[in-house]
Amino acid sequence: MDEFQEILQDFLVEAFELVEKLDEDLVELEASPEDLELLNGIFRVAHTIKGASSFLNFDVLTHLTHHMEDVLNKARHGELIITPDVMDVVLESIDLMKTLLNIIRDTSSDAGVDVSECVARLDKISGGDGDVPSPVVTAPVVEVAEPVVEDEPDYDNMSDDDVEAEIQRLLEQRQAEDKAKREAKVAAGEEVLAPPPEPDEETSAQNAKESKPEKKPEPKSEPIKAPVPRASTNARSMSDDEDLDNDAKAAAPAKRSNNSVDQTIRVDVKRLDHLMNLIGELVLAKNRLIKINDDVEERYEGEEFLEELNQVVSIVSLVTTDLQIAVMKTRMLPIGKVFNKFPRMIRDLTRELNKKIELVIKGEETELDKSIVEEIGDPLVHIIRNSCDHGIETPEVRLANGKSETGTISLTAYNEGNQIVIQIDDDGKGLDADILKNKALEKGIISEKEADNMGEKEAFLLIMKPGFSTAASVTNVSGRGVGMDVVKTNIEKVNGIIDIDSETGVGSSVKLKIPLTLAIIQALLVGVQEEAYAIPLSSVLETVRISKDEIYTVESRSVMRLRDDVLSLVHIGDIFEVERILDSSEHAYVVVLGLGAQKLGLIVDSLVGQEEIVIKSLGEYLKGIKGIAGATIRGDGGVTLIVDVVALMEIAKNVKATSMISDQNSESAQSREKTKASDYTIMIVDDSKTDRMIMRKSLEATGMTLVEASDGLEALNILKQGDYHFDAMLIDIEMPRMDGYTLATEIKKYNRYKQMPLIAVTSRTGKSDRMRGVESGMVEYITKPYSADYLSSVVQRNVNFKSEFLS
Amino acid sequence: MSDKLKQVISRQNKQQQNESIDQSDDIVQLVGFIIGEEEYAVPILSIQEIIKPFTWTRVPQVPKYVMGVFNLRGAVIPLIDLRLKFGLSEKKHSDETRFIVMKDRDDVAGFVIDRLTMAIRIKKENIGPAPDTINGDNTTIDGVGKQEDRIITILKVNKLLERDF
Repeated sequence: MDEFQEILQDFLVEAFELVEKLDEDLVELEASPEDLELLNGIFRVAHTIKGASSFLNFDVLTHLTHHMEDVLNKARHGELIITPDVMDVVLESIDLMKTLLNIIRDTSSDAGVDVSECVARLDKISGGDGDVPSPVVTAPVVEVAEPVVEDEPDYDNMSDDDVEAEIQRLLEQRQAEDKAKREAKVAAGEEVLAPPPEPDEETSAQNAKESKPEKKPEPKSEPIKAPVPRASTNARSMSDDEDLDNDAKAAAPAKRSNNSVDQTIRVDVKRLDHLMNLIGELVLAKNRLIKINDDVEERYEGEEFLEELNQVVSIVSLVTTDLQIAVMKTRMLPIGKVFNKFPRMIRDLTRELNKKIELVIKGEETELDKSIVEEIGDPLVHIIRNSCDHGIETPEVRLANGKSETGTISLTAYNEGNQIVIQIDDDGKGLDADILKNKALEKGIISEKEADNMGEKEAFLLIMKPGFSTAASVTNVSGRGVGMDVVKTNIEKVNGIIDIDSETGVGSSVKLKIPLTLAIIQALLVGVQEEAYAIPLSSVLETVRISKDEIYTVESRSVMRLRDDVLSLVHIGDIFEVERILDSSEHAYVVVLGLGAQKLGLIVDSLVGQEEIVIKSLGEYLKGIKGIAGATIRGDGGVTLIVDVVALMEIAKNVKATSMISDQNSESAQSREKTKASDYTIMIVDDSKTDRMIMRKSLEATGMTLVEASDGLEALNILKQGDYHFDAMLIDIEMPRMDGYTLATEIKKYNRYKQMPLIAVTSRTGKSDRMRGVESGMVEYITKPYSADYLSSVVQRNVNFKSEFLS
Repeated sequence: MSDKLKQVISRQNKQQQNESIDQSDDIVQLVGFIIGEEEYAVPILSIQEIIKPFTWTRVPQVPKYVMGVFNLRGAVIPLIDLRLKFGLSEKKHSDETRFIVMKDRDDVAGFVIDRLTMAIRIKKENIGPAPDTINGDNTTIDGVGKQEDRIITILKVNKLLERDF
């Protein structure tokens, strides 16, 4: 049974692929019914499915495909001309076939679908009387009762020619496969994948079954190979003799495709996903390694081993990047997989809507991540339906407007940097911004004011709103106002951007910009206060450095002028409730975010840089936080949150003007009432223990609380912990890890320490040193050596020490 | 000879079985920790690891007791302060502060506790139900363990890991 399941799985995968191809080929065939090559290809596909399904005992499917095959065979022999009506029936039968395949996939049996009507019609076309008994699925006896199905074929009902052709075909197929097998073995030894098992077994099974009752000797095996090259140039109408050539030709390409199968293997997507996860980990480790390398480089400048380390790090980073690209590529599918279904769709729509539309597909070989390919199918269907229904006019209108009768929809895919652009253009009537606005107003989707402020592009985007439809009436095709909403949701799900352009009367163009992959993205890292956030680079249009007075407030919203536009602004700190600990500087950076035609300026404190990040989920416990799309692990091992630009734009609408001037008096309760000498707290920062001791001795007499730190970093950490409220700090200049100047600069960044006196205690006496001290915010400059009294008095003065505490 | 050997072996087996039954049936293994003044405990098997505090990243728009997320060897894990969750005041992390990483099936989170006490083996019969007043489905209290000189509140890990905002 397991083996059967395995064969069944293979069959389904193959069948779905074939059917997809069939759809496309048939539509093409309709356009050029004379194309024998194409017709043969189609016949082959139908035949393969028939063969495999009969082997697997899917009687209904076999029954259906058999009749389809009959029709195609007639056409192939020039006995039947493919008219649109014939094509309708054939396409209908293919739809039925798809339904059957789906049922087989779900239930492993093909019961429950009535194909008799379609079969009857097929039979009529192929010249029968339409009276075809349909097989009953359940009973095994049926096989005998079946008139035409292969397993127990009733050759009496067939014409001699047909019987002849059938036997010939089976024989040749068998031979072709044997040959392929032999070739494969010769080419690559025994380990090479054998040709797919089911057609092989199928034919042998059939051969076994059929050749016995027929008992017809088949001596014609020799001439089969010879006619192959000649076959493609062969004539239209076929006599019995030419049947042979034709069949041989049918078999030959099948053999070729068998060979190419040997070059590929099917891999479970889960394994690829796992591989992708591992690569993600590797990228994180690489980022970390690069960071460590930078640190090491700084510390051990000029050492010899650095060279080697550098080499290793750059090799690792190079290989990781290559590996990542390679794995990404294995997940890539050509977008043609999605595009393939559209010729058929357009064909159906043109008949339904009585329009003439031509579909032009370009760039179907462009590749995209599998998960994204799966997501964009539906949006494209909706966009194209929309173009057909609302965009392209009826032939009469088109002629009246001086356009050609046939409308064109072109579907183009191409790479643009790290993105794939899928562009859907039509030369229809285009969108009218005013009509869209009015309609939106009518439906209450936007307010009067919003309508007035709305630019053309924003108006176009209205068609993406749920419940929006300009179609006067709901047709079978569109007008329910659901479709384009689906487009928006799905495209945003894959971090894509939608761009709509249109000119009234000339046509419209929808651009979908989609990132190549979902798991690893390029991000812009921005800093706000002490936090960092990652913004997907695909949504960043530009960054601008501005000074505070370039920000205006209009109707309690912050805006700025960006060239000729007015850009609304929001502070990232307001969205993510960031505490304003650090004093914001005079300048700020604005990250201009773009999502479709929407733009928003995000004010941040600093730009950290661009980095490749791996998206990680925040997990079940923290999911659904507005404005956060996930998290990533940075080179230093810390976690950085990733901004969800879509949600951020939503939140931004409700955020009032930002208070760029932070609260000054928040922590000014520093100078609280002092009731005793030990309420005064002083920090002593010096790397020399002796120096710290001397300072301690000098100040001990006053009774102040003294805290010591051995370098700048330690001092900063003590400050950050906030266990003490320091009234002043004594800072040595030359210290390891962080020197006095840097420490002073860092301290002055904090609002709450703005007022704290910093006193430099140093042996550096140069004027430039004093200048640097003042620049970094030191108020006093004591040079070593000093007298204890002097130090004490300077400190007392700076902290407003009350003399009555002196005992 | 071999019969005797068999007897010995079977006797030993029985003994071992009895012992293991003793262990698994009547004794619950817990890890105890202090939050504020109280001692709490969770089953030892629900603990993935116990680590010293390190840096975490704040996450916006969550209750105050959700401190943020941290990186546990490549996984991003939420960090929850049990002091705040239990309505106590904030406290600086000290040398004794620990993050306990607990898991329940696929849910994992780190919890900040004031101090670890010890691994506790406690007999099942010494564990009573939670007091009636706080009984019900919504409580995070699984039961109350009685030791000679103290009582320990045993917490439900799956409740702790459940999002409640």
